[in-house]
Amino acid sequence: MASNSLNIAESRAGMICIVALAGRIDSTNAEQLMTRLNSLLSSGEKAILVDFSEVIYLTSAAFRALLVATDEAERNTARFVLCSVLGQVRELFEMGGLLDAFTIHGSREEALTRLG
Amino acid sequence: MASFREQTMRIAIPNELAALPVATATLQRFGADNGVPDKALVQLQVALDEIVSNIIKYAWPEGGSHELTICLTAHRGAVEIEIVDDGQAFDPLSVPSPVHPPKGRRPRPGGVGIHITRNLIDGIEYVRTDGENHIILTKRYAGCVPPERGLDGQ
Repeated sequence: MASNSLNIAESRAGMICIVALAGRIDSTNAEQLMTRLNSLLSSGEKAILVDFSEVIYLTSAAFRALLVATDEAERNTARFVLCSVLGQVRELFEMGGLLDAFTIHGSREEALTRLG
Repeated sequence: MASFREQTMRIAIPNELAALPVATATLQRFGADNGVPDKALVQLQVALDEIVSNIIKYAWPEGGSHELTICLTAHRGAVEIEIVDDGQAFDPLSVPSPVHPPKGRRPRPGGVGIHITRNLIDGIEYVRTDGENHIILTKRYAGCVPPERGLDGQ
């Protein structure tokens, strides 16, 4: 993976769409994440879990993408949750005052149990 | 007292977001070469992304091709990043902290990047001189020695 790339991998657990992110989410690729999440929501997904366990860092551009997707999910009566927001990535959420802006579960397992 | 040679690297990038990875990748290499701890390096990369993307998006409302220069300097226990552009005057220190949303409401995007940068970085200075904006970010860290030079600076 190039040092500044973001990898977005989708998988399913029953009715839940899991979006696993890996790498860096910055000003150059946050738009790509927003487009992908919005396209999942507009295609009718009703439960989306975004896994941050492999994210190295994110910037405010990523927060914008996540806030837009959260609003879109609300409009579509879909559930949109995050998991494994840990370490330095969690600190960035905290600094942005955004820990309470999203539904965040500790691990993928916990999130799947809550969504299931 | 062991000697320490300051290292400096200067790059220029066009005012295009697509050029930003060049800057963050250069910073990553520079930090690794100068023994900057991983956590401090990530914090610097986030801050650089926030400041440079802001400049690219807002410094030249009339558009056109412009260039930003980024100068990285490794001091003993600190890295300084100076970002220079010839866009309209803009002091990032003048940006107010984001307002907390009313209870039960989600925050809106906007102002978060500068706020995060202030939290990540130990010092931010802004100078407007000769029609140019100079933003200087300083990040201090403890206890690392550049791997290829050692304590005697050799």
